Order: sequence, then structure tokens, then C-alpha cells
Amino acid sequence: MTLTGMKKHVGVLEQAGLVSTEKVGRVRTCKLGLRGLEEEAAWIERYRQLWAARFDELDIVVEELKRKEKANGRKKRK
Amino acid sequence: MDVRRESEATPTKNRTGVERKSERELVVTRTVNAPARLVFEAWTKAELFRRWWVPKSYGLTLLSCEMDVRVGGQYRLVFRHEDSTMEFFGTYLEVTPHSRLVWTNEEGDNGKTVTTVTFDENAGKTLLVVHDLYPSKEALDSGSTDAMPEALDQLDELLASLGSSTETQ
Repeated sequence: MTLTGMKKHVGVLEQAGLVSTEKVGRVRTCKLGLRGLEEEAAWIERYRQLWAARFDELDIVVEELKRKEKANGRKKRK
Repeated sequence: MDVRRESEATPTKNRTGVERKSERELVVTRTVNAPARLVFEAWTKAELFRRWWVPKSYGLTLLSCEMDVRVGGQYRLVFRHEDSTMEFFGTYLEVTPHSRLVWTNEEGDNGKTVTTVTFDENAGKTLLVVHDLYPSKEALDSGSTDAMPEALDQLDELLASLGSSTETQ
């Protein structure tokens, strides 16, 4: 990887809050915010589970609507 | 409890995807095995919406759910959780039957979050895309950590117990 490529790469990680960097003289030191990454993954997964649970309930409601529609004999031709 | 309907063709569950699109955007996707007009109905009629928006497993009681689904109309959801109540409210910005809903979430301290839901029907199924645009990165990050933490913990417990004790049902 070129130095410019590396800079860009680190820049993206830094923007995402996954690493922090500090420049002292000519040297830029990177600190890895790995915990931040894990935390983010964990809450995204929790958020996903919430929505998955929600959508499972939505499926039940929608199935009921489908059955009702069928029972009412409403047929819509495509 | 609910009626058991195990035998009746439980359709294979569709996967729920979550992606953080940017510092301020969170996108949830899911396919529902039904035409868009029915899915849209479930999102826009309060008596249907209240049945699924708060999963039963949540330990939250939905005290009231008012939805005036038209452009400029308001919604307000009031929950009880243990000894406190929580309110979620906002305004519908766009209502396009069977295809698109946009509303604001005005309960936060950090400005308005805008939620856009699109209903995309294909071969009798509907792809739902729920897009949340937060007013700032901080609002998204704080929302992720303090939005109903107890409820999420309960959900975690429930999911864990479901995973380990399916045979007891």
C-alpha cells in the first residue's frame, strides 16, 4: 500500500471513530479503537434483533389480512 | 397467549438486515410475503400497527396509539414501562399509498430524526426499507445506547431463552 493510500485508509477509519491518530513531529501514531468497533457491532445486532422481532409480529398481522382478503373473495387480477 | 398456528405453512422467515449507511443514517430491510397494499395497511392503521410495532416480548405496554396518517398529520405512541411512561410522537411528511411513508420523530432532545419507509412490491412480495436519518452523528450514537435499554435487555434475555428452550414451548 502506498503512503497516500494508507493515509486515506486511516482517514476513513478515523472518521468512523474506529481509530484515533495523533501527530507528533513527523510521526503520526494511530490508536485502534477496537472496543468501539465491537460495541457498535453489538448494538447494531441488538437493533437488528428488535426489528426482526417486530417484523415477525408484522408477518402475523399481514398473514391475517391476507386470509381476510381471501375470505372476502376479493380477487385482484394482475 | 396467542393462537397457535404452527401447522399452517409458517413461511420461511425473511432476513432482517441493518446497515449503518453513514454517520447519520441507519437502514433496516426486510421482505414481507404479501402485496404492498396489505403491508402498507399494517403500517398505517393504528389498530394494526399497535399489534406489531412493540414486540410482545418487550415488556412494554402500549397505552395509546394515535395515528393521523396524512401529510401534516400527527402520531403519538404512549408506553408504560414499569413505573414510567414514554412518548413517541411526530408528523407525517409524506404519505404515498402502498409505496412510501415519511415521518419525523420529535421526541428526542437532539433534533428531529426523519424516518422514510418504502414499500417495493415484486412478485407478490414486498421489500420494506426503513431509513432513519438522524440530525447528527451524536444523536444516532446516543440513540443506540440509551434508547430503551431495559427493553433491549429484556429482548436479549427473551432471545436467549428462545434459543435455548424451544422444546419447552
